[in-house]
Formats: sequence, C-alpha cells, structure tokens
Amino acid sequence: MNNKLLYMEDDLEIGSWLSADLKQRGFKVIWLTSGENVAEYMEETDLVILDIMLPGLDGFSIGQRLKMDFPKTPILLLSARTSIEDKLHGLHFADDYMTKPFHPDELVARVEVLLRRFDKISQHFIQLSHLHIYKNQKRIVDVRSNSEILLTAKQFHIFDYFLCHPNQILTKEQIYEAVWGESYIEGDKTLMVHIRHLREKIEQDPSNPQIIETIRGIGYRVRQ
Amino acid sequence: MNLRQSLLVRYLLIITAALILWPFALPLYYVPEYFFDNDFKRKVIYMDTNKIERMWYQQAVSFDKLDVQQINKKIIALHNKYPEATMLWVSGTGKTELIIPKHINIPTQWIYHSTIEFMKQNASGDQFTVIEYIGGDRNQGFMIFQVPFVLTKPVNMSVIDDKFLLIYDLVIFASFLFISWLFFTKIRKRLVKLQTAMTQSGENGIPDQLEVHEQDEIGQLGQAFNHMIEDLKSSKERELKEESLRKQLITNISHDLRTPLTVIRGHSHSLKKETLSPRGQDSLLLIENKVDVLSQLLENLLSYTLLSAGKYPMHKEKTDMLRAVRSSVASWYPVFEKEGFEVQLQQKIWIWDIDPKWFNRIMDNLFQNILRHAKAGQYVGVQLIERDHKVLLVIEDRGPGMNVSSYEKGAGIGLSIISIMLKEMNFDWEITSSLNGTKISLFEKN
Repeated sequence: MNNKLLYMEDDLEIGSWLSADLKQRGFKVIWLTSGENVAEYMEETDLVILDIMLPGLDGFSIGQRLKMDFPKTPILLLSARTSIEDKLHGLHFADDYMTKPFHPDELVARVEVLLRRFDKISQHFIQLSHLHIYKNQKRIVDVRSNSEILLTAKQFHIFDYFLCHPNQILTKEQIYEAVWGESYIEGDKTLMVHIRHLREKIEQDPSNPQIIETIRGIGYRVRQ
Repeated sequence: MNLRQSLLVRYLLIITAALILWPFALPLYYVPEYFFDNDFKRKVIYMDTNKIERMWYQQAVSFDKLDVQQINKKIIALHNKYPEATMLWVSGTGKTELIIPKHINIPTQWIYHSTIEFMKQNASGDQFTVIEYIGGDRNQGFMIFQVPFVLTKPVNMSVIDDKFLLIYDLVIFASFLFISWLFFTKIRKRLVKLQTAMTQSGENGIPDQLEVHEQDEIGQLGQAFNHMIEDLKSSKERELKEESLRKQLITNISHDLRTPLTVIRGHSHSLKKETLSPRGQDSLLLIENKVDVLSQLLENLLSYTLLSAGKYPMHKEKTDMLRAVRSSVASWYPVFEKEGFEVQLQQKIWIWDIDPKWFNRIMDNLFQNILRHAKAGQYVGVQLIERDHKVLLVIEDRGPGMNVSSYEKGAGIGLSIISIMLKEMNFDWEITSSLNGTKISLFEKN
C-alpha cells in the first residue's frame, strides 16, 4: 500500500525502532526529531504520527498548526503524557491518541483505521470471502457466479462503514448514527432490517452469517 | 491603641456624662418656669419656710422696745417684701394694732377664747403661720405671719402630679437610651459588616480583605482579619504552587518511565520475529506482560494522584447507560475473545447521571482486572438489572476470586481509583467474591 507516514519523535531509541518497524510493515516513513520544516513534507504525507514532548515547539502546537493547514491529513498523537486533560487537549485537533508504551500492532491497526477513514488507502479493491469489492466504483461482485450484487444506497453505506472499520466491533448506535446521521433510539428495528436484507444479498447462508458477524448484545463486526 | 479611639472609653464617657448630667437635669426643668412664669417668681420667696421663720423671729427680736408707730412702719415695709402674706401684730394688752391686709376673722381685742379660736382655725386651716413674741418678750405682745400653704408648698417634683415633668424625665431617659442605642447599633452594624465580609468568599474561596477606617477595637479586629486573609492567600498560593509542582513531577516521572518502557516493548516485539527457543519465547511473553502491568500501574498511579488531589475533571451528565456499557464492552470484546472468554451482556435501557469518561475508566479498570486475574473463569458477564427498585450494573467473572493474592497485588490502585470515582459521582459499589468468581455491583447512592 505504501502509504507515507510522517513521524515526529525526539527520542532516538523509540524513533529509530518504530520507523524501522513501520518500514518493515510496508509504510514509507519520514522520521523527524523536531517540528522544524515539517510543512515541507506535508504535501506528500498521508498520515502524521506526532509525539507531544518535542524540543522547541511542542506536539500540541505543531499538531494544531498542521491540522489547520492540512485538514485532510490525519494526525495520530503518540504520547507518554496520559492525563485526561492532555488527551482532551490533543483530541481537539488530533484524530487519535495513543499512550506510550504502545503495542506496535495496535499502533498499526489505528494507523490503518485512520488511513481508511481519510480515504488515504490507495487500494480500492477488497476481497472478502466470496466477494470482490471495488469501493470507488461502489461495485460488489460475487466471484462464484461472477455476477454483480446490487445493493441499495443505504445497504452499501452500511457495508462501506463496516469496511472502513474492519475487525472493529461496531455498536448499533455507532452504525445508525454514522449512516443515518441521527441519534439512535433504543428498540428501533430499522438497522436490523437493513442488515438482514444486506445479509440476504451478500452472505452465502444468511441464517448463518459469516461476513457480518453478530456480537450478541453489542453489535456487529466484519473481519478482513 | 489610642485611648480616645477605644470603644470602651467612649462608652464610659457616655455613662459618666449621663451620671453627671442627671442631677442638673431636674433644676434645668424649672429654669424656664423661673424666667418666664411671674407667678413662680412671686411664690419662690415663700417656699423656704425655715427662712421665713428665721426672718420673722429676727424681726420680732429687732422690734424690742419699739413704739406702735415704729412697729407698724416696719411691718408695712416688710409686707411690701412679702405681699402675699398676712401680717398682724398684737400689743401686750391684747389689742390688734395692725393687720395687713385687713382681715375680718381676726379679733380686734385678743381674749382667752378668741386666741383659742385663732389657734384652732390655724391648726386645721390652710395657712402657714409663724407667731413670735416681740423682742422675745411675751409682755410686749406678739406678731403673726401667715401665708397660704399653696405658696409655701415646695415646687412639685412628683411625676405623678406634674405630667410635664414626667414627659421631661422620659425624654431625658429616652435620649440616654437613644445615644446608647446609637452607639451599640453602630458597633453592631460594623460587626455584621465584618461577619458578612468574613463569610463571603471571593476568588479561591477566600474572603476578600476589608477596608478598615477606624482604629478602635473593631478596627483592630478588621486589621487582624486582613492579616489572616493575607496569610491564607499566600498559603493558598503556596499550596497551588506545590500542587502544580507535584502534578508536574508525577507527570514527568510518568513520562520518563514510559519512554524506556516503550523502547523495551518495541524491542521485545522485534525480538519476537527472531528465531527463539521456546524458553526464549516464554521469557519474551513474560517481559511483554510485565511491561503491560507496569504501564497500567503507572497510569493508575498518575490517575490516583490526580484524583485524590481533586485534579481530575469530572463532568456529570445524563448518560444512556446501555449505550455506554455497550461501547465499553465493544472495545474490550476483541481482547476477551482472543483470550477465549465468553462475554455476556444483558441489557436494559437506563439513564444515569454520571461522567461518561470516568465511567469508561471504571469499566476499563474492572475489565483489566478480570483479564489479568480472572482468566481462569473464561467468562465475563455485564448486566444492567433492576433489584429492589434500584438499578445495578453487575460485572461478573468466574475467576478464582479476589482473596487470591494475585488479585490484591495488582488490583489495589485500580480498585482505589474506582472507589474514589464512584464516590465523587455519588455512586457506590458492592463486591462479593468467592473462589468461584467475583461479582461487582455499581449503583446510584440514594
């Protein structure tokens, strides 16, 4: 996928290790030890990983400035500061916040979520079980019969939301509010009905769904 | 302190003035009467009967051996001085020589029974009578001075008879009371002002300083109060400074510990990709596990410090608990799933007045503990149920229970944080733990 990450970290041990690790996972990484000249790299950056404690301008200031100039580039704050105030302050402009010590797998998972959310993933083709999904064309093909599956706009919207949040458990509230844009009222069956119809179209056996998993009492999940 | 400014001295002055002025108050009452009431002036010479008696006696003595004409002349002269009086004199022969003014009831010739008659009249009469022998000699005759009692009666000082005196006395008494009242009202007003200033807290919860104008006892109290406020303010500032220093220190320590932990975590992760013996793999797993524990501990330590210092911002709001519980469980579900836990969620629509972020934190700590100490049970149940008109959030596991030492060791701070947070939000909790599992119930305090 070769997404370009801009990584700002003043600690050499963490910086060298994490940039190596990210490179190994197939990202292009530019690692800076301070916030100087950061704007030069921004044009070609897909995502910024920002440490808060930086020499000179701190991560908060840099992040705020970057978000103002490049609102379409996601920022993930990486910090050893864990107080709620710091988190809240950070999330004013940043799109996600992780505290050290972080698990590299989790960091990558979050990076991928952000990249998807901001449409930075260059690849628009997803293979899921027997489905080939071409996101930019909004086309889903059943490989077994090589026939196109036609979804309604709402159904596609729901399915797309799942695909943007792979492996995450999404609660009914989350899905409903993301797709319909209004707050979910407990007991509302609309979403369930839509998911049932969606399953009828994409699942091999709608009574035993494999693609859209039900997590009982909590929500749904699509694994990739 | 200047004595003149002392309240005590001032009050003593009022009292002393009252005591000194009181004897003058009564004569003062008669001053206008004396000057403006002619009748009063006329009367005033008769009031001192002793003086009249003495005067009459001296005159009588001085009349010794004087002839009738001379005595008449003198008595007439005297009468001019005492125009209200009746004056008469009787010669040694019993003949009335002179009566001024002309009086009918006086016998012209005094004989035995007429004298008795006169005496009787006077004893029951309304006249003040002085009788003296001329020259102190009964043979030369006697002289009589008579004046109605109305005139000799001293000035009426009874408040019962004299309504004006009553009013006058009352006015004087009232004015003394009024001055005292003014004095104490002023003191009282200032004390109340002081009290208000002491109870009203300004910024930082400390009352503002007072403006002190006077130097008396209350003024000094005000100054002492201002001193105290100054001390309080400076100590509050010091406390704030220390507080922020402490917070800074803990934040820094937490940060400084996290950085090397991140490096350890990172390199152990890199190590995992190398070929290692099974023992090496186990050690690595242990290292990673301990890094987790340590970072959680750090997080809890920081939270605990902030919480116990009241520096952890709380924003209670009406929260859809079903939603909050669901999203918390959803974020933990993958971890539980990976560890092979069965996750059960029993739902109920319910609203609690709670800080959602704090609630999340509480759930995180509970789930963390279950993952760490109740893995053996392979079960986590979250229920929102109603019992005895009370809604309980019950988090249940089937682990070995809290009495097992591993639980106590790591869970201490985490549980303390939960306890403080619940208390702050006016919630309470109950823990029942046995070898077959632990049940933690959260509920709103009544």
